[in-house]
Amino acid sequence: MLLTEKDAREITDKLLSYVKADDATVNVGSENYSHLRFAANSFTTSGARENTTIGVTVWIDKKRGSSSTNEMDDESLRATVAQAEQLARISPVDREYLPTLGPQTYRPVNGYAEGTSNISLQNRARAINDVIAGCEKAGVIGAGFHQARGSAGASATKNGNFNYARSSLVSLSTTARTPDGTSSGYFLRNHFDVAKLDSKRVAREAIRKALDSRQPKTLPPGTYPAILEPQAVADLLSGFAFGFDARNADEGRSPFSLPGGKTKVGQQIFDERINIYSDPWNPELPGSQAAQGGIPAEKIYLVRNGVLENLIYSRFWAKQKDKQPTPGPVNNIMESSRPASALEDMIKATDRGILLGRFWYIRGVDPRTALQTGLTRDGIWYIENGKIKHPVTNFRFNQSLIQLLAPGNVEMIGASERVGSSEAQGGSSALLPALKVKEFHFTSASEAV
Amino acid sequence: MTTSRRDFIKTAGIAAGVVALPSALPAWISEVDAVEAATAAAVDKNALADIALNTARRLGVTYADIRINRYRNEQISTREKQVQNVSRSQNFGFGVRVLFKGTWGFASSRDVTPAEVRRITRQAVDIARANSVYQRKRITMVPTPRIVATWKSAFEKDPFDVGIDDKIQLLLKLNERALKTNGVSFVSSSMGFANEQKFYASTDGSRIDQYIIRANPQFSVTATNRSTGDFLALNSLGGPQGMGYEYMEKYPWLSEIEQAGENAVAKLKAKSVEPGKYDLVLHPSHLWLTIHESVGHPTELDRSLWWEADYAGTSFLTRDKLGKLQFASKIMNFVADRTQPVGLATVGYDDEGVPAQRWHLIKDGVFVDWQTTRDLANMSPNKKSYGCLHADSWGSISFPRMPNVSLQPGKENTSLNDLVAGVEKGILIHGDGSYSIDQQRYNFQFGGQTFHEIKNGKIGPMLRDVAYQSRTTDFWNSCDGLGGPATYEVGGSFNDGKGEPGQSNAVSHGCPVARFRGVNVLNTAAK
Repeated sequence: MLLTEKDAREITDKLLSYVKADDATVNVGSENYSHLRFAANSFTTSGARENTTIGVTVWIDKKRGSSSTNEMDDESLRATVAQAEQLARISPVDREYLPTLGPQTYRPVNGYAEGTSNISLQNRARAINDVIAGCEKAGVIGAGFHQARGSAGASATKNGNFNYARSSLVSLSTTARTPDGTSSGYFLRNHFDVAKLDSKRVAREAIRKALDSRQPKTLPPGTYPAILEPQAVADLLSGFAFGFDARNADEGRSPFSLPGGKTKVGQQIFDERINIYSDPWNPELPGSQAAQGGIPAEKIYLVRNGVLENLIYSRFWAKQKDKQPTPGPVNNIMESSRPASALEDMIKATDRGILLGRFWYIRGVDPRTALQTGLTRDGIWYIENGKIKHPVTNFRFNQSLIQLLAPGNVEMIGASERVGSSEAQGGSSALLPALKVKEFHFTSASEAV
Repeated sequence: MTTSRRDFIKTAGIAAGVVALPSALPAWISEVDAVEAATAAAVDKNALADIALNTARRLGVTYADIRINRYRNEQISTREKQVQNVSRSQNFGFGVRVLFKGTWGFASSRDVTPAEVRRITRQAVDIARANSVYQRKRITMVPTPRIVATWKSAFEKDPFDVGIDDKIQLLLKLNERALKTNGVSFVSSSMGFANEQKFYASTDGSRIDQYIIRANPQFSVTATNRSTGDFLALNSLGGPQGMGYEYMEKYPWLSEIEQAGENAVAKLKAKSVEPGKYDLVLHPSHLWLTIHESVGHPTELDRSLWWEADYAGTSFLTRDKLGKLQFASKIMNFVADRTQPVGLATVGYDDEGVPAQRWHLIKDGVFVDWQTTRDLANMSPNKKSYGCLHADSWGSISFPRMPNVSLQPGKENTSLNDLVAGVEKGILIHGDGSYSIDQQRYNFQFGGQTFHEIKNGKIGPMLRDVAYQSRTTDFWNSCDGLGGPATYEVGGSFNDGKGEPGQSNAVSHGCPVARFRGVNVLNTAAK
């Protein structure tokens, strides 16, 4: 059972009543989670978890200690507070301590659906059976993952703030492979409302990609023009908005740093059509009502018309630098200032290039340029004279994200849609467009399918 | 690399640890431990197991297990002269797994009471039943003997009995040492400890208690050049181990962080590598990760059966290659081992009651066996579970996870310098860096922490911007030299991810220093 606001307040009040420390923040979170996995066209694992956890952070003479537990009896709660206080007493002074927030006003967001939190076992089994049946009918082998989560929780401070919120998330991914293992397709979508998760589309697209990827040809690695579908953009950039840290930039260890301790704020770093922002109230991608440190979230731009407008100041770093703490980001939205291009038009506008739908095993290589390495996976095609010519075997890439979005490299931008990173298994969400770029750096071939 | 570090890791890898019982509770933490102890005493795990297993049997399952587990974690993080975080967490709950009409069902809760165990067991069966209506291939398990046992991992000093003050002082001392080097601007260090107290009972009649300790210390030293805007970070070579607080006390952390500071400053000024083919001499602090990704993962049978196709991926090792494929050069033997002392994946029994084992995956370079569990065993040639089932929490369903997988040292007493002496143009790599590998484990790219040029058999100056790319079997077959037992060290990962929903597994990989011929090296500095 998820906590109601009343339940949550009772727990945070109780925790705060046990606190003897100078300052404290306490939180409680409850979760209903369930999953169903399938592979080789058959169900593999399926399970559920119900949990409630409390966390306590206290400061005594600016010394900090934290403790958490999931045992909810009064004695355990009291002992957890006492443990945080014991840890604080023996810790050195927290030089980054700032008093916790007093009462704040939050503008609520709507990111919770009851049907997601309490998923129907029968409906889910039927929906996934339909996915498998579609794979069988098409002669492909399906594997995939359905998960649904409802969360409700609150945080409260000794200085009087209280923040309760609920959210939910459902995702479905499907990988279809031809039985000979030479071709593979993948599709993933998520939403907070299970009624808006189109499981048929997920299956249809995964199967289509597997069938369209048969008999791929090998191309030499190198720099190609490329069209990245929204999933591929999500795999590269779904966490991008969260990397605009001001402290790292000021300290000279970020792609947004300039020599001499300066930053690139105010500079044109990306194509002039690109906007990257966070908006807690976006109806398709609701964010959290509270940003870092519990401050009420607001809509904020990180990049507007290609110009780096804001870096993210934590409460501590803002105080050091005499700035306001940044009320976000709480979600990641990238969109074009101009009318969006359809994927078909991007293909038509390509003389020679690569179309791809998923990246895999992406890891940072050089933080100075946000250089990432990884591989293409589950569907990649060669385009010639405005038409898809043939599927291609996979590549490894080494690509700077800064160069990817740089002025001159971005040719066309699609309509933004809700996608989740495949490496995060659909657990992360962003609104991202397809991108047509002039140069994408493929550095070696991969035989993997 | 100091001799003392080598000696320590070598000893850690092969010596049996002294098993210690938790000592008396220290005064500073007595209140919460007392409550935990009271809660534990109030929970009759055997009685709860009877409720779960009897309820499941009545509902018609062919197999059921219950795990009632407590997890404790402690994390201390520092940066330069300040402590950033001191936290302790604990987590208690149970999970019931059932096999009903060849379909798995699992449910779990934090509320460890008889009524909740009954409700959750019914829920696990409900989940299995709803899915079984559409089940196509029924899951089967191989049998395992009934086990009633208690097991404790090999640690000398329980880190949860050591005061926080000692731990903080050690970390701050490390930071101070690193900052002594001119050009080092930032340093962070941390230590984390994990304790698992696991109880398992099944319809096979098994009842097993296990107590496991793991340590995860690390540091990162950053050198910057503010005038050019250049910066780089070096991380610790010492990584997580299946050890207690003795790891913090005996490992030469101070000399290693001092060396890391000097190396970071030197690397900032080092020559950028010229891309091309090089011979590589790879130190165990680096090679463990290449083993993990390109030997550990492709020999997982579930991957070969496409059970992980949607996320982690499949494997280039198909079942027809077993016993035939020359995976690596003939001098190489890779052994899976859940009995290895101080291994991160070392246990007494896996999460379905199968005893820990040691077996060859690659013998004389040939791929000879898989990692298996009871529900995979019927699809393996010898129908045997090697005990690889694991769940990272009471709230996670158990599934196949990697055991410790280690490259055996060469028989001769070959040293690092002996291997270097046979290289005209090469690179010596220490430490794990950036890593990435495809979903079938063919193509990989690895960075490192420090890179030294090798020229005409001698170690030369430092290089930077190095990563190597290769294909798994080409790479392992290009190995023509293995260090002897004296060069053997154990590295590992504290949080290896796999599965949907993603779960974490801790796993160790031991290896000697090794030499590889003609590997493709690229320059990672984007122009």
